[in-house]
Amino acid sequence: MITQNIDALSLSELRYVAIKQGLDDAAVMDREDLLDTLKELYEERASSIFGEGIAFSPSTQPRFMNTLVEHDSEQVVGPLPGVQPLPNEYAETRIHLLLKDPYWAHAYWSVCPTDLQKLESSCDSFTFFLRSSIVEIGDQTREIDSYDIAISKEDSSWNINLPEQGYSYLVSLYYRDDKGNDGLLCQSNSVQTPQSYFLTHTEELQTNDDLFTLLFSSLVTKGGIMIDNPLLQEVIKKLDKRMEG
Amino acid sequence: MLNRSSIGLILNAHMPYVRHPEYPRFLEEDWLFEAISETYLPLLRMLNNLRDEGIPFRITMSFSPTLCSMLTDPILQGRFTNYLKLHQELGEKEVVRCGVEDPESLPLATMYLEAINKNLEDYFELYHCNILIGFRDLEESGHIDLITTSATHAFLPLFSQYPSTVGAQIELAVQSHINHFKCRPKGFWVPECGYFPGLEDYLKDEELAFFQLSAQALVLAEEPVKRGNYAPVVCPNGVFGFARDFHLTNLVWSNVEGYPTDPEYREFYRDIGYDLPMDYIKPYIHEPEVRVFTGFKYHAITGKGPDKVLYKPELAARKVADHTKNFLYEIRKKGKDINKILDRPPFYTLAFDTELFGHWWFEGIDWLESVIRKVAQTDDIVFETQLDYMERNPEAQVLQPALSSWGAGGYADVWVNGSNVWIYRHVHKAIERMEELAIRFPNQTSLKQRFLNQAAREVLLAMSSDWPFIMHNDTFTTYAESRIRDHLGNFNVVYENMCKNAVNTEWLVKAEKRNSVFPDIDYNIFNPHSDRNRYNG
Repeated sequence: MITQNIDALSLSELRYVAIKQGLDDAAVMDREDLLDTLKELYEERASSIFGEGIAFSPSTQPRFMNTLVEHDSEQVVGPLPGVQPLPNEYAETRIHLLLKDPYWAHAYWSVCPTDLQKLESSCDSFTFFLRSSIVEIGDQTREIDSYDIAISKEDSSWNINLPEQGYSYLVSLYYRDDKGNDGLLCQSNSVQTPQSYFLTHTEELQTNDDLFTLLFSSLVTKGGIMIDNPLLQEVIKKLDKRMEG
Repeated sequence: MLNRSSIGLILNAHMPYVRHPEYPRFLEEDWLFEAISETYLPLLRMLNNLRDEGIPFRITMSFSPTLCSMLTDPILQGRFTNYLKLHQELGEKEVVRCGVEDPESLPLATMYLEAINKNLEDYFELYHCNILIGFRDLEESGHIDLITTSATHAFLPLFSQYPSTVGAQIELAVQSHINHFKCRPKGFWVPECGYFPGLEDYLKDEELAFFQLSAQALVLAEEPVKRGNYAPVVCPNGVFGFARDFHLTNLVWSNVEGYPTDPEYREFYRDIGYDLPMDYIKPYIHEPEVRVFTGFKYHAITGKGPDKVLYKPELAARKVADHTKNFLYEIRKKGKDINKILDRPPFYTLAFDTELFGHWWFEGIDWLESVIRKVAQTDDIVFETQLDYMERNPEAQVLQPALSSWGAGGYADVWVNGSNVWIYRHVHKAIERMEELAIRFPNQTSLKQRFLNQAAREVLLAMSSDWPFIMHNDTFTTYAESRIRDHLGNFNVVYENMCKNAVNTEWLVKAEKRNSVFPDIDYNIFNPHSDRNRYNG
């Protein structure tokens, strides 16, 4: 994070930061306590940033960010006349899919109140579920594989696992009525997970030292730590396995 | 023939659009003022000195349209003047105080005061309050190549499903660049190195010849890259992509093992804004008693603990010399290995946020100057821009780079996670509605045109990568969230009124004053069906 390197702060600075962070007894805490409590607080917040199902993995190579320095401002910008608060959702039955990384996408959706009413009047009870599909996109979209995710009626977003690389995915929102019938409510845009040549041709890296140097020498730190990237880690894992084999 | 390595340095100067005329003084506006006084003005002085001495250098610099807009905004120019004068007064007071209470710090207080006085002189006399003049002058003299980035520094992969909006971000950026620098930008800084395959099509349409990529973008491509990151690739449509050298960049940019972490360098976080009694410092911080950085910092990094030794510029200068030597050693060492296996001398793309130099890393500008001077004395390393290289080596491997960014994990996780993901539901909706408005109400004039233009500004400002980034870092989340909500709420005022064929003039007049970025914007750029829009699939 780009906030203070708190180890470097004096006691008065630490107390100031702690009070700003809402620690009521900061004024009587000693330096060690303040450091421990603040670190714990930052860690908690960092892990809460990442949703369920995604391990928090701090970058192994933090960098100096941009110029933004925390000033702990409490100034609030007032809205202009006529500005209304944002709605929680929009009155439409739609689902969107955003690619986060090669293994995860984020889906968010909404169900139009009139569609909900229709459903409620057509059956005694119903549930929702998501179907994540691997598809081939050509003249016609063909489903290769899929899996279902049970969700509650209150849910409106979900992180979707994308198990295979180099494929297109889309997510559909379905209802299931009390008789076990499924009905499609809406289908998302598709996203494509990247396909990497060297993920499937690691043998070329194993047998060609020059190629390995050419490709990887610009991706590691002076201390030998590789740039934070899950696909590169996968390439290295495969290489290690081949070497062991 | 000598195997001469090239350093292709790109500096990205960007600030989010923060401008609050509705407040007499607004804390987050200090981001801009700190960047001008600690980075941009000292950098201009350094580059101008080198030019005046005839030291050769060629670097690429990107200026974001939001930054350009703020640097030329009369209100912010006036406020920066106040900022400088306030700090000048503090400097004069510090010289007196240190003379009596803290003689060891007196040379440092004097050093800071001198820097402020130089800034004041340069800002008024050389640049007449518009520092972009200085960078334009350096471009005209052939020392820097100026490029642009997306209009509000949007993380573009998260908007790739809205082609006309991505096109609008880029077209508007080019227009803004022409307005500020009086010539077309030559290349494009991809915000956060956030590349998605196909982005190059938008760049080609705007005659942007090249862009930069994250370090992993080529090695993870679908086809094998032949020269690693040591030469650019050319996308199938002819636009060049330069991937960063993570190894060399990290020597500078890592806050774990980078040069700026050396104990002799100045400590960023110890500042009299926090250290001195409230009664003394109160006039120079924010009301009511909000302690902030003042720029007067008297300690060296020293170590991890709270006990910091006095900062000694002469010791830091020695470290600058050491780190210059080390950097050139690393380049030569690398060149030795790479030259054996590459069919041409390597080109190292080093891409940094400009504000690292001077602001975060106080000695960073001295280090950069030292590297440029040393390189000028050698014949095996040269500073060369991306355009120079492309001219010299028009042949490049044709390759489609992979989806990537320079954020943690290498993709979009920094900009889409539990802390900020809620914004996309609303930003996407606003984009869809903006496109709808542009289709339903094309080529409006007078009040409706102004109304729709303001809607376009609000959508673009809501797309900035800075807000989700700030939320992810859990820093000033309240401000970032309120900015997103305000821009989207503002947009909705236009949408709802236009749906009723009405214009809220009271809102419009105030909104135009508050968010006055891109004065020449034409909302029709959002129309996917417009003849001018090439991105309608």
